[in-house]
Amino acid sequence: MAANVTVIGRTTRVRGRVTGSVDLEVQGFVEGEITVGGDVTVDSQGIVGAGIRGRRLIVRGAVKGDLVGDESILLESGARVLGDVRAPRVAIASGALVRGYVQTGDADASGTRAARAQPAARPAPAPAARPAPAALPAPAAAPKPAAAPIPAKIGRAEPPPAARVAAPLSNSGPRRPPPPVVPALRSAKGQIAKKKER
Amino acid sequence: MAQIRTPARSQGARDASDAHIGSAARVRGRIQGDGDLVVEGHVEGNVTLRGDLTIAEGATVASETVTAHAVHIAGTLEGNLTASGPVHFAAGARVRGDVQGNTVAIDDGAHFSGRLECEFELPPELGGASQGEARARASARR
Amino acid sequence: MASTVISAGITIEGEIATDEDIVVAGTLRGKLSAKESVTIEHGATVEADVAGGSLTVAGALTGNVTANERVDLQAGARVIGNVKAARVTIADGAQFKGNVDMDV
Repeated sequence: MAANVTVIGRTTRVRGRVTGSVDLEVQGFVEGEITVGGDVTVDSQGIVGAGIRGRRLIVRGAVKGDLVGDESILLESGARVLGDVRAPRVAIASGALVRGYVQTGDADASGTRAARAQPAARPAPAPAARPAPAALPAPAAAPKPAAAPIPAKIGRAEPPPAARVAAPLSNSGPRRPPPPVVPALRSAKGQIAKKKER
Repeated sequence: MAQIRTPARSQGARDASDAHIGSAARVRGRIQGDGDLVVEGHVEGNVTLRGDLTIAEGATVASETVTAHAVHIAGTLEGNLTASGPVHFAAGARVRGDVQGNTVAIDDGAHFSGRLECEFELPPELGGASQGEARARASARR
Repeated sequence: MASTVISAGITIEGEIATDEDIVVAGTLRGKLSAKESVTIEHGATVEADVAGGSLTVAGALTGNVTANERVDLQAGARVIGNVKAARVTIADGAQFKGNVDMDV
C-alpha cells in the first residue's frame, strides 16, 4: 500500500526533520525542516514551522520558514508565509500573504546576485530556458531581442504547478554561456530595445 | 527612436484627471497626482499618487519610492512600492524593490526581487508572529 | 485506510504524534505515538519507541512497542525491543528479540 506520496495527516504532528526523495503533502503540523527532492504541498490546514525545500512547492496553509523551490513555488489564496520565497518561478495569488524576501529566477543562496545583476546578466537564465522550444538562433539574433519576454511566455504556456522550465536550465547551461553577453554589447540599440521590449 | 524629455510641467502634476505618459516620453523628476497614472514610457523619479498606477508592458519606472492606491505592473519597476490597494505583477513584469501592500498577486512568469510586507497573523501553533518580530528577523538576516 | 502515510523514500528524524491511522513505509528515527492503528510496512526502518492502538509490523523496528489492543508481527518483520500489548501474534518468518508483556 506504500504510495509514493507521504501524507502527514490532519491530526498528525511531526517534531523533527523530514528528508527524502519523494512527494510530500502536509495536512497537519510539521515543526522541523522539510528537505525533499519531490513536490511539497501544504494544505490549507497544514502548518509548517520551519523551512521547506523541494522541487515544486504549493502552499495553501501557514509556513514560518523559508521556501526554496528548485522549480517553482505557488502560493495560493489563504497561504500565510513568514520567510523568504525563492524559486526560478514564483506565482502568488491575491489572498496569499507573505512577509519576507521574494526572489524569482535562479534560486541562488545569495538572493542579491539576481537582484543586483545588470540587465546584461539577467538574460543568462533566459537562453537556458529557451532551448525548451528549441529557439537556437534567438539569443544571438537582433530582430528578436526579446530576451526578457521569452521566459515569461514559457512560464505562461505551462500550467503553474507543472513547471518544466527550470529543467532545461541545468541541461543547457553549458551550451550557451556567450550569447547572454551579446545583447549588452549592442550598447545603445540594445538598451533602447530592452526598454521597449519589457 | 527619440528620447524625449518632457518639460518640468510633468513635475507636480496635480490634476485629478488621469495622467498618461506615452511610450516615447521620458520623464525625469517627481510625479505627484490625485488621479490615476498610466506609464508607457520611461520615468525616473519618485511617484506619489492618490489613484492607481499602471506600468504598461515595455514601460520603465525607476525611483526610490512609488506610492499609489492600486498598482498594475506589466513593465519594469525599480524602487520600493507602497500600495493602499491591490498590487498585481503580470507575467513579464520585472520588479526590484520592496512592496508594502495587503493584496499582492504575482503571476507566473513575473520577475521579482524584493521584500513583500503583508500584514497577517500566523496561527497560534507558530506563535502568531507580529510584524515587528518579522522585521527584526529580516534585518538580522540582511 | 491510513490518513498519514510516511512513504518509502522519506526519512523523519524526530517525533510523530497522531490521532489517525498511520502507515510507515519509509524511515523513522525518534518516537511514534498514535491513537489508532500503526502499520510498519515491509521495507520500512523504524528506530523508535512506538505506542499505538494496534500495531502491525512487517518491516524493521528497533524500539519498545506498546499497544492498547494488539501487536502483530508478520513474516518479514525484524523487531528488536520489548512488546507490551493485550494480544500478541508473531507469525512464522518474523524475527523477534525482546520481551513480551501481555499483562495489561
